[in-house]
Amino acid sequence: MTFARRLGWTVCGGVAVAWLPWVSSEYHTHVLIVSLYYVILAIGWNLLAGYAGQFSLAHHTFAGIGAYTSALLVLHTGVPIVVGIAAGVVLAAALGYVLGTLCLRMRAIYLALATWAFAESVRLLIQVEYQFTRGDLGLRTPLLFGTPRPMAYFYLFLALALAVALAVRQLVGSRIGTYLRAIRDDEEAAAVMGVDTFKWKRAAFVISAALAAVAGGFLGHYIGLLSPTPMKFNEMAMIIIMVVVGGLRTFPGPIVGAVFIEILSEQLRAWGEIRMVLFALLVLVVVRAYPAGLVGLGRAALRLKQASRGVARVLRDR
Amino acid sequence: MERGTVTGIIGPNGAGKSTLLRTVFGFLRPRRGRILLDGGEIQGLAPHAVKRRGVGYVTQGANIFPQLTVEENLHLGAWILKRERRRVGELLERAWTAFPHLAARRRARATTLSGGEAKMLSLAKEAMTEPALLLVDEPSAGLAPRITDQIYVRLLEARDRGVTILLVDQNIAKAVEVSDYLYLIERGRVRREGPRETFASEMRAIIRDSLLGA
Repeated sequence: MTFARRLGWTVCGGVAVAWLPWVSSEYHTHVLIVSLYYVILAIGWNLLAGYAGQFSLAHHTFAGIGAYTSALLVLHTGVPIVVGIAAGVVLAAALGYVLGTLCLRMRAIYLALATWAFAESVRLLIQVEYQFTRGDLGLRTPLLFGTPRPMAYFYLFLALALAVALAVRQLVGSRIGTYLRAIRDDEEAAAVMGVDTFKWKRAAFVISAALAAVAGGFLGHYIGLLSPTPMKFNEMAMIIIMVVVGGLRTFPGPIVGAVFIEILSEQLRAWGEIRMVLFALLVLVVVRAYPAGLVGLGRAALRLKQASRGVARVLRDR
Repeated sequence: MERGTVTGIIGPNGAGKSTLLRTVFGFLRPRRGRILLDGGEIQGLAPHAVKRRGVGYVTQGANIFPQLTVEENLHLGAWILKRERRRVGELLERAWTAFPHLAARRRARATTLSGGEAKMLSLAKEAMTEPALLLVDEPSAGLAPRITDQIYVRLLEARDRGVTILLVDQNIAKAVEVSDYLYLIERGRVRREGPRETFASEMRAIIRDSLLGA
């Protein structure tokens, strides 16, 4: 599929959901915005973990770094919000580069542990340096559109999510996507092929960190209040749950999973922390019974339908 | 090693044969010493850089991508030639002529190949970049003798085209048969070295040594 066709599909996708805030309450629109935020995070993490096979546990941290960098810059130096967000993205990408350089030679579980340690360190730093970050007291941030009403933010996040989806789709379909999948399937064989495996793993790490910071930066200036709580491991778990339930290694997986889990999570709000147990069970079922996730299930259903149609045609023609 | 010859490395399990190949290709760094390729030092280079200097590596097992077709695997083998479309096309044609078995199965997924076919594909894939030096790790492991013979024939054909081959093998008889010069290594040290003729006459002693690790 060419870029033009993908662009067409993206625009269609946007138009298909653009009417939603007009028929939803502000609360529901808010839920949709948060879903779109998770769509961006999940796409980025799927690029790294699903396509490149690098299981990082610091994805939520890069969102936090984006949000805090932007908020602190805007508050202390008075730069425009967009400049603050851009700075957050640059910082996240730079930290991703350094962390990638340090960790990406490690194998699976060591990479997960090292990134987890990084994530906890950053969170604790923000919590402890409360004179600067206000820690658990929460940091008030200026709002991007000057209002907390969600309508405008919905379109902003819709545009961001679609742009990220299109860009990542374009990336995984390119040579670089082939490099990444080759590294995931057999790093040694990829190296024998002549791929600079380290360079491309790090590139995937930097890109995913930057995408997370974009999402985090904008969300911070919509919510208007930052705290270290969303930088806890729970948040990372949510991203993993979304990608796995939607379908790891599939392109639409994180999109479907993020929207599905976020909406489900809001529906079950009364259940509190029990939701995580429920999601964990859901993940176990998916991994054990159907690793291709919801997207794989959908594709299988589609194939089944086509097959049964084919059978019906054959029977009719007899 | 002399250009266009086969050098065989034999030795008991754990002697460091595969480690030697992995070090040459850059997966491991030597603690000391130098590795020279055409007079230039290559120790410490990353695998992709070694590859670009004209080194191919047929690893133990088959370093192919099982979910891709035979043809896609060969395209991946020619990855570093990126933009030279025409050359890749020629190399592909050459591979089909050299490996008719693979040509017959070009659209089949690599996972459906037999062990011997997979090994052939692995060889064909490395040939796509026309390496000057080919590292070969245990080409006969786990294969039927008839297929093993075919693989050695391919290696000798490559040598006749001027490819230098560094061969690691557990199959001592076969290694002595195809190599021009051999090294027997044990616990990382060269125990014995010499041209094929010397090795052939000392085979008995070598096999005994190698088995008993004495």
